[in-house]
Amino acid sequence: MAQTYRSMLVDPMVDNNPITLQVLGICSALAVTSSLQVALVMTIAVTMVTAFSSMFISVLRSQIPSSIRIIVQMIVIASLVIVVDQILKAYAYEISKTLSVFVGLIITNCIVMGRAEAFAMKNPPFASFVDGIGNGLGYGLILMLVGTIRELFGSGSLFGITIFETVNNGGWYVPNGLLLLPPSAFFVIGLLIWAFRTWKPEQVEEREYRIQTVEAH
Amino acid sequence: MGLRSFFDRIEPSFEKGGKYERYFPLYEMVESFLFTPKTVTTAAPHARSYIDMKRIMTYVVIATIPCILFGMYNTGLQTNLAIAEHGASGWRASIIEALGIGFDAANPLANILHGLLYFLPIYVVTLVAGGLWEVLFATIRRHEVNEGFLVTSMLYTLILPASTPLWQVALGISFGVVIGKEVFGGTGKNFLNPALVGRAFLYFAYPAYMSGDTIWTPVDGFSGATALAVTASEGLAALPAHGITWMDAFVGTIQGSFGETSTIACLLGLGFLLLTRIANYRMVLGCLLGMIAFSSLLNLIGSDSNPAFAMPWYWHLVVGGYAFGLVFMVTEPVSGSHTNLGRYIYGALIGFMVVMIRVVNPAFPEGMMLAILFGNVFAPLIDYFVVQANIRRRARRHV
Amino acid sequence: MSDQDPNLSASTGGTPGARKGFLRRFLDAPADNTAKTIVVAVGLCLVASMVVSAAAVSLRPLQERNAALDKQVNILQVAGLYEEGIDVAEAFTAFEPHVLELATGTFTEAYDAASFDDRAAADDASLSTALTDDPASIGRQANFVTVYLLRNDDGSLDKVILPVYGYGLWSTLYGFMALEEDGNTIYGLQFYDHAETPGLGAEVDNPRWKALWRDKKLRTEEGQGELAITVAKTPPAAGRDYYVDALSGATLTSRGVDNLVRFWMSDRGFEPFLERVRAGDI
Repeated sequence: MAQTYRSMLVDPMVDNNPITLQVLGICSALAVTSSLQVALVMTIAVTMVTAFSSMFISVLRSQIPSSIRIIVQMIVIASLVIVVDQILKAYAYEISKTLSVFVGLIITNCIVMGRAEAFAMKNPPFASFVDGIGNGLGYGLILMLVGTIRELFGSGSLFGITIFETVNNGGWYVPNGLLLLPPSAFFVIGLLIWAFRTWKPEQVEEREYRIQTVEAH
Repeated sequence: MGLRSFFDRIEPSFEKGGKYERYFPLYEMVESFLFTPKTVTTAAPHARSYIDMKRIMTYVVIATIPCILFGMYNTGLQTNLAIAEHGASGWRASIIEALGIGFDAANPLANILHGLLYFLPIYVVTLVAGGLWEVLFATIRRHEVNEGFLVTSMLYTLILPASTPLWQVALGISFGVVIGKEVFGGTGKNFLNPALVGRAFLYFAYPAYMSGDTIWTPVDGFSGATALAVTASEGLAALPAHGITWMDAFVGTIQGSFGETSTIACLLGLGFLLLTRIANYRMVLGCLLGMIAFSSLLNLIGSDSNPAFAMPWYWHLVVGGYAFGLVFMVTEPVSGSHTNLGRYIYGALIGFMVVMIRVVNPAFPEGMMLAILFGNVFAPLIDYFVVQANIRRRARRHV
Repeated sequence: MSDQDPNLSASTGGTPGARKGFLRRFLDAPADNTAKTIVVAVGLCLVASMVVSAAAVSLRPLQERNAALDKQVNILQVAGLYEEGIDVAEAFTAFEPHVLELATGTFTEAYDAASFDDRAAADDASLSTALTDDPASIGRQANFVTVYLLRNDDGSLDKVILPVYGYGLWSTLYGFMALEEDGNTIYGLQFYDHAETPGLGAEVDNPRWKALWRDKKLRTEEGQGELAITVAKTPPAAGRDYYVDALSGATLTSRGVDNLVRFWMSDRGFEPFLERVRAGDI
């Protein structure tokens, strides 16, 4: 086997992170990161869905007709997502209200589809499961980082526990309202990608253009 | 030329292989600020002109002088008027009392001095905070600190309300310089106007400090709505009741950000910029036509529930940040369109959007900042289509 | 593919051993075989739909309880009875739900108060009226709404909880208003569903702002006079008892709250009912 289980788990954290390197799953990363608690639940949901969908698809991989393989993958993923959504509504109602449509949108999350198509179709079930966990956690790592920044500076708290007492509640901290709006996640993710690629320059993509130089005569 | 020879003497230690090679941008910044830059284009072909970046930027700063002076006067005037009602407090009041000048709103000098005490701290913080980032990036990225920052910092200061807390000033300009300019490669590569990016950041991050009725004049307990806020909620007819006539708005003795209240000061700046050909008249014309056409259309349509529909174009021109944005932001050459036809379209798009946001969007009484940023984003696309259309036209002619 | 079809059909109806052989042969068949494509698709859909419906059916009671609890928590909160960790369902039994006919201000037994859906009723043409003069921008107003009564131990009225809603800046704000037994003094106002701007309009959720509503009065002269309650930047002529300071920087949300409170407390809202509350009829 080309990859060890350890590298399957660890690689998607930094070296092959689905968000910062592959720039997948951005939509939900914008929407659910204004508070850490919600980001954590989303992380768990995506990790579970990616892991189990990869595993099931890997079990079925030799039986899946190539003409309908995307649809088959979608059915497996969608069923899992609906089950997760139902469980959240039953056991974590408050959070499922905040997540609202974004749990359903895990179906269209490119990370889940991407791992199913790129990894699970070619690898045995357990390896696919581990790969799914790794990628889910890689996604979650960024979600939690973004969530920490947005909640701490946007509402002065972490996991709902007040860290900076805000002015509206009689404290000193003036919360940054921009961080509560979804576009701020673009900036935060952009800065994270910048930091990651400064740390690991090999992640920087090659330029798609060439700067023309003119010889001085 | 003692200074010149001093620079010539220390230059080698900043050049390649020199002791302070890393700090060349710093040296270059000070040197080119004081003297004519000596770098010349080396590769052919190039057009010869006496205009260089330094001259362009200096001219823009010169063009803002009427706005700066009037901004200080108006800030002082509004503050002194409010103090007459609510009383004075704070360190600025202590300085003025120590100087024995007093808070007489009828005394223009007292107003200008009071305004200066608000203008200077914001401007200095902008220069220091923004300059720090400029130098940092210049040192690491090995490019030069550009005169462009002088313009950015001046424009940024002029579009802030006088009551803005200084830490927010620093945060806003940091965001503007880093996210609005440096991440794209620095001066000349920014597709958005950095001063506006900083202002927009503050607007969305700290809306309570950037909008409303209490922020325009920095006196506790004072409340005064901008002309646009009044129009949006009560209609144009209510303006005289708030003590605002068209002439007030044209001259600029109204509530608003530092340098943007006076249309006549902005027009003076525009005259200078057009005369020196720094500003491209096409963008100005497009922006005026777009605004006039769309506001007239809305006047014709009319609305029972939204009084802002009835606002005629000559009011749109004098209230809010329209005139200031038109003169100093729309004409910014880097973030605007680069083709001549594109410049008309770009201007018209901004003119249309500013009226659209002011009148139709209930959340934003003022729309110039957002309209210009919107125009900035579309400028490359407009250029693309203009160029494509030209290619098609010429291809047809050839066949 | 036709050369494989006989193989598949030949083995149907065989012994258990033969069926195993069928499965074996089916699994070994190339995945792109048409028959197999159909079988895989149908089979997968069947399995997936069973899993999904099993999850939905088995979790349904829990979910419905959650939705009900959520509403109950809000009612408890606006009545000041909620504390972290209490048994919500138990505490909620203190409330008496009633379906109220707005026009007459009387309770109706035509609908079951425990299951009456206010939001569905507002959309139902037979249960609601389209508004032409619509200050709260709600479009249709339901003829019947659910109100909750809280009684003291001796059976006298303690508080009434009234549902209110209306449009703010971006969204419809849904909430409850709690009134004291005099039908005129406000105990609290709380919104449980809205999408106003974070940091500005969303400050309607701020406890400090909500506390401003406590002990304000709806109408002058002990409820007999004009509807005077106002959300504004400056106190109304009637005085500070009728004034809630508008949210700073959120003019339109504040105006929306003002409109919706004034609408629901007017003759077209709960006034017929509140008249009876003030008279001590409830």
